[in-house]
Amino acid sequence: MDLPEIYSIPGTRDALPPQRAVERALEARLQSVFSRYGYEPIDTPILEPTELFLRKSGEAIASQMYSFTYWNRDLCLRPEFTASVIRAYVNHMQDRALPLRVQYAGPTFRYERPHETRHRQLTEIGAECIGAAGPGADAEILAMALSGLEAAGVRNAHFVVGHLGAVLGLLAQLGMDVRAQSLVVSEMEGLAQSPNDSAEVVERLATMLAGGTESDQLSQGALAELLQSQGAEAAAEITTTLFERANLSLDGGSRSPEEIVARLLKKTSRPDPVPGLRRASHFIRELRHLAGPPDQAVPALRRFLGEQGLDDAPVRDVERALECFGSYFDEAPPLVVDLSRARGLRYYTGLIFEVYAEDGARLAGGGRYDDLVRSLGGHETVPACGFSYVLEGLLAAATPKAKEQSARSSVDLVVAPIADSDYGAAAHSAALLRRAGLSVEMDVGFGGVNVNLRSATQRSIPLVLIVDELKVGAGSATLHDVRASSEATIPSAELVNAVLERLKAYA
Amino acid sequence: MTETLRLVIPSSARMEDETVQFLAACGLPVKRTNPRQYRASIGTLPEVEITFQRASDIYARVHEGTVDLGITGYDVVAEYQREDDEVFVVMRELGYGHCALVLAVPESWVDVTSVHDLSEIAADWRSQARELRVATGYPNLTRQFLYDHGINYFSLVDSGGALEAAPSLGYAEIIADITSSGVTLRENRLKPVGDGTILAAEACLIANRAELGKSPAKLELTRRILESMEAYLRARTFVSVTANVQGETVEAVARQVMAHPEIAGLRGPTIARVYAKPPHDDEDWYAVTVIVARKRLQDAVDAFRRAGAADMTAVELAYTFEKQAWSYEGLLRAVAGTHQVPATTP
Repeated sequence: MDLPEIYSIPGTRDALPPQRAVERALEARLQSVFSRYGYEPIDTPILEPTELFLRKSGEAIASQMYSFTYWNRDLCLRPEFTASVIRAYVNHMQDRALPLRVQYAGPTFRYERPHETRHRQLTEIGAECIGAAGPGADAEILAMALSGLEAAGVRNAHFVVGHLGAVLGLLAQLGMDVRAQSLVVSEMEGLAQSPNDSAEVVERLATMLAGGTESDQLSQGALAELLQSQGAEAAAEITTTLFERANLSLDGGSRSPEEIVARLLKKTSRPDPVPGLRRASHFIRELRHLAGPPDQAVPALRRFLGEQGLDDAPVRDVERALECFGSYFDEAPPLVVDLSRARGLRYYTGLIFEVYAEDGARLAGGGRYDDLVRSLGGHETVPACGFSYVLEGLLAAATPKAKEQSARSSVDLVVAPIADSDYGAAAHSAALLRRAGLSVEMDVGFGGVNVNLRSATQRSIPLVLIVDELKVGAGSATLHDVRASSEATIPSAELVNAVLERLKAYA
Repeated sequence: MTETLRLVIPSSARMEDETVQFLAACGLPVKRTNPRQYRASIGTLPEVEITFQRASDIYARVHEGTVDLGITGYDVVAEYQREDDEVFVVMRELGYGHCALVLAVPESWVDVTSVHDLSEIAADWRSQARELRVATGYPNLTRQFLYDHGINYFSLVDSGGALEAAPSLGYAEIIADITSSGVTLRENRLKPVGDGTILAAEACLIANRAELGKSPAKLELTRRILESMEAYLRARTFVSVTANVQGETVEAVARQVMAHPEIAGLRGPTIARVYAKPPHDDEDWYAVTVIVARKRLQDAVDAFRRAGAADMTAVELAYTFEKQAWSYEGLLRAVAGTHQVPATTP
């Protein structure tokens, strides 16, 4: 009986040859771009404590993590790199001179719901600049992102640059607490929609903030008014007494009666979150409306923030960063300033950006996160920024020329001994050629002349060296040029030169 | 050799009784020679072998293919099913064994009436480095529900049994457990959270696609079982109503009746001549029979009265067959669906 086949997990993929070679080459090109900007390689474990990403990465990511408990330890597969890199910084590198520039590449994991399982494992290639504040560092990251796209052969990508400072400033002005701010930032896309469409988002956020059921609406009615008219202490006493008289025990479970009463009273005095959310929605929609090329958007946004009584520092940040960015290149890439954008991660504090392909696919994203070091236990507040590419996105967006290379095998030559007794001479020739830096495949199955020529043709391997006893005895071998359909007898001493000569023709 | 179709059904007291009753009502009486034995057969389908197992194990037996079909609670299936599973839910609702997976908190948590309250507590505790611990035997469903409701900071406590005791024993704050009446929760001084129903479930029929796909004989046996179950379940939603209606001709009565959509029947009324006794023997009477939805029976009776009916009877239907067994068609498609090999290039 045949044993059943075993398949890879939905959302993961096998990278097969020769396609994988293309991916590796792309990774190498991006890594060398990062190196030329002075970013040194770092690597961190794929397996991390779940807590690392719960701390500051935000709710959206928390619910998408591959997390599990193994021997009483809460673990997860990393959903992104930045938190891991900063953890490594906090654990081992706080005494190093700043700024510290690091680059990384590797798989990240996010659980997508079954109907959208295309990518549960993605390859991120990115860089972080730790310990540099201000638009100059932001500009370096932007410039590096663009350089990498050029190296990857991606054309016509466009940049969207935002800044969380504007929205966070408004939310602070509205007096929203941390949780409400976090929810608003995670829903900025929804809140930026038309008033009708965003109304639903406002309602959902209001439910999350204040509850949606009737029993959640404790802040109305005579009892609520009475309690609100009392001081906090008196209100707690009244409530506790009421429960005692009604013979309702608040003991049992892990919360104390005081805690329960305190929260009950908090519910009775909870302000309605809807007006604040509507205001935020309106504000974000205005920001979206004012989005555009820097020369239009920057003055308009400045004016708008001023009208709202908000600091225009975020706009000035963006303006300066874009000026610096522009000085890296002769020609500026297509770019939109849009302060209504957020990224999926909650730790960003300042300038953020995303890069999209012509078809709208996301290629890269990043930004500034000045609080993360401290949140992950760092001694001091260390400003930092960074970004990463999604390799799978880049591959899809790369120009046809970059993809063409995928057809050709990376093997230069096949060395084919005809019989067992030829193995030694063939291995010797292969070793010589490898020492000369060539990629040499040895036919260890003694397939014969025809089989090897056919296979080389199929795989676009340019040369095949046939090693058989007769020629070996004469100190030579037969070199087949597959594309030219020619063959020549080459003396051993001239082998390397002859092969290099012919390969040059294919370079 | 004739092939045997292996069907596993629950062995726990209540689910076992209800399942045996259900199968009997479907015309598939379970014959068990000895009540202590874990094997039985179906009188009308001798090629079917029945085994009894714990409801929670049934999913695993069908998954591994040691049995072909299983009846178990949908809660178990929803918890254990994977997206690329060999297990296929053939019939989601068998109409009995209703239960719900609910979030429950201590009765003393008077400030908690909704899932929102829990999300707020979890967020508050998060900032105090306190953890909301949830004891449950259904970690997958519970985790997803909490995520869907904006609760991201919690830990799940795996608990074999006596889940209800977890909050009072102090190893979890709240629980997510199966309840059918709520009595056990109350006895343990717990209350369900208003909108905290994670899943409403009932008994369902599952199949191993690969095992059935290998054997046309097993598929045919499965078809016969599905025909019976579907016909029984469908019949329960209808009643047959017969009314005596006065009218000139068959056509006139048909027009009279069909003017009322409530009594137009599934396809149309069946009308037969009634030979009336004196003193009505000079009048033309017809018996009109239609099938109507059970829950619309009173509407049908009223409509018949408006159409001039004198006396009406309603009878239960044993089985209602349609032109094909829909769940069997679904099963065939699932069996034919081969495993999707994930793409290798992005």
